[in-house]
Amino acid sequence: MDHTGELQVSYRGDPAKLFPLALGTGVLGVITLGIYRFWAKARIRRHVWGQVRVGDDAMEFTGTGLEMFLGFLMAVVVLAVYLAVVQLILFAVGIRFVFDPQNEMQEIAQGISIALSFLAVLPLMLFAAYRARRYKLARTRFRGIRFAMENAAGGYMLRGLIYLLLTVVSLGLLWPLMTYRLEAYMTERTWYGGARFRQGGRWTGLYSAYFHVVVGIVMIGLSVLVAIGGSPGLSGFLGALGAVWGMIGLVIYRVRAFGYLMATKEMDGGLGFRAAPRAGRVVWLYIKGVFIVGLLGGVASAIIFAPLGTMMAGVEEPSALLQVEIAVMGVVAYLLLLTVFGALALVFISQPILGHFVGSVTVTGAEAIDAVRQRVSDRGADAEGLADALDMGGAF
Amino acid sequence: MGPAPEEAVWFDGVSARRQTVVVEVSPDGRGLRFAREVWPLDRLRRIEGEGLVLALAVAEGDELPHDPARLVLAEGALADWVRGRATGLHRRDLKRGTGVKIAGRIALAGVALAAILFVFLPRISDLLADQLPLEQEVVFGQAVLRQVEGMLGAEGSLVCDNPAGLAALEKMERRLTEGQGLTYDIDLSVFDHEMLNAFAAPGGHVVILRGLLDEAETAEEVAGVLAHEIGHVEARDPVRLAFRSAGSAGILALVLGDVTGGTVIAFAGDYILRASYTREAEAAADAFAHDLLERTGVGTEGLAAFFDRIEGMGGDVPEFLSTHPASGNRAEAARSAGGGAEEPVLNAAEWQALRGICG
Repeated sequence: MDHTGELQVSYRGDPAKLFPLALGTGVLGVITLGIYRFWAKARIRRHVWGQVRVGDDAMEFTGTGLEMFLGFLMAVVVLAVYLAVVQLILFAVGIRFVFDPQNEMQEIAQGISIALSFLAVLPLMLFAAYRARRYKLARTRFRGIRFAMENAAGGYMLRGLIYLLLTVVSLGLLWPLMTYRLEAYMTERTWYGGARFRQGGRWTGLYSAYFHVVVGIVMIGLSVLVAIGGSPGLSGFLGALGAVWGMIGLVIYRVRAFGYLMATKEMDGGLGFRAAPRAGRVVWLYIKGVFIVGLLGGVASAIIFAPLGTMMAGVEEPSALLQVEIAVMGVVAYLLLLTVFGALALVFISQPILGHFVGSVTVTGAEAIDAVRQRVSDRGADAEGLADALDMGGAF
Repeated sequence: MGPAPEEAVWFDGVSARRQTVVVEVSPDGRGLRFAREVWPLDRLRRIEGEGLVLALAVAEGDELPHDPARLVLAEGALADWVRGRATGLHRRDLKRGTGVKIAGRIALAGVALAAILFVFLPRISDLLADQLPLEQEVVFGQAVLRQVEGMLGAEGSLVCDNPAGLAALEKMERRLTEGQGLTYDIDLSVFDHEMLNAFAAPGGHVVILRGLLDEAETAEEVAGVLAHEIGHVEARDPVRLAFRSAGSAGILALVLGDVTGGTVIAFAGDYILRASYTREAEAAADAFAHDLLERTGVGTEGLAAFFDRIEGMGGDVPEFLSTHPASGNRAEAARSAGGGAEEPVLNAAEWQALRGICG
């Protein structure tokens, strides 16, 4: 095989560097009642982006904690208006059924009104998902050149709602259609400098990755049929098996879909990708990570809670003041422990899995990069604030 | 004497080409010279990455006041020399006017939230509350009452049901409501709790807590308080309050992912118990009470006496009596509203029965 013009993508993460950073920023977050989390996120991203290499050159994250904080302030106002109004209207409608459904019709209406109050945030979540990715791209540099994504979150939201509805109506069978179309929507609006990305492939191409989920769905469907036929034992077994099969299938799907969608992306000038992430490896990294986090987290909790325990053991009759002191220290110790677990999970679960995905990618036709020219800066109005307010940020 | 020239990687910020340049110390010893550039030491900023990645601070620039160009020096003599001399390597530059911008945004967010919570929400919830059909309101009120019972620490029902007491309560209720043309069918009950309080819930439910019966010395005092609460009911104050709390709770509930409506009911219960109506609503309820007490021949003296007693108690006063004009004024207002007692509300035996309703 001809390897000229190829660049291997790699991730050089080092637990010994990321852990102190994650723990330190996490502790600052606790001290500042969560305000510092924006700066923490920016610092961790600057570090993680710097570990991603395409060939010999690193990615760079230029976002700042300050702009994320300001974006959050803006998002809170938008959310407050939206949620308050939506909730009030739903309350006004729902109050007629929620408290005391009189008949079957009202029970159905009650169910719908409860489901609606959840669905009310769904459009916002889709909107926020697009905005978050757009912000990340707008603050990513490679070789001094900006990435960008067009301002089209509204269209993404509409499409997302339609494809979600299709997925639900088809009992999950059309999920690959949603995955493909939404990813394509974002990819086609992504730019590196003056060069645009395109999504090749077809949505039906995802079905080989989706196979095991379909098996799970069919098993659950069968279990329902069997239950109607009147053998609850077999039905329960089939249902449970189908659920587990489907869950594992979902992991396989996520991994292989990433590979397929990556390998069918291309950039102006003939730049493309090869990607071969392995589901087995991801699962193994996850299990290994959980084990390490459990082990180290256990040690940490012993270290954190032991002094508290010994202090309490020495006291015969605690005074009111001492009880308050112990309660406060207990809360602090608990928050500290949560922070430690968060940092450990980031370092030993999220980072290795990210590393595997990143490392599975090879850039082909890399000569195209040399022809790319700079683009103007994108001010990114809400800087992911919406996603943060809805608490839907991923690990990084 | 500076270090020897070294090769470095240069991204010019215009093209994505990776360029190799020779970097040397500028002749005056206060900058780096390479290609056609001279970067002064004091404007160099370090970017996170392997080796020494440098950017140039500029007034404009993008989200950070940095030029997009990057110079990557490998670890070595030149990198060490730069680290030793470039004083601003780790400086966090902020654009001009950042402080003003932060203050502005925080103020804006605060004002917007305040406007939503105190202006916008009350208006829209009042509007929606007025649309609520009566029978739904009654059902909702029952849910709120159950919530209040829970908040008062009850496992089961707190409703007092001594038959003689109930009969007395019924008599008092009829005296105040019969033939008055009220919109609501008043549902009166007593909760077995030592708190000195009374409140109205949506749907015409009015509740007296036992503490109030213990504190009151005549049936007329209780009747006065009842008339005040009926005033709230007729003005639809409780349901409006519940809707307002639902709006605020909605923000919390949806962010917390609460889809059961539990938060809304919890908030409603809390609001009702604290009954923080507006001054205007309280004044209107007082006026309603004066009028009602006069028409039914109960007289306002009982209500006035009750206000006086509350005044004498000092600090520990239930919210529904203290959020507005000092109680003294309210006592006076009640007295001057006139309306002498024509006929006692309850006789001595009935009054004793009412006080023993939780017995």
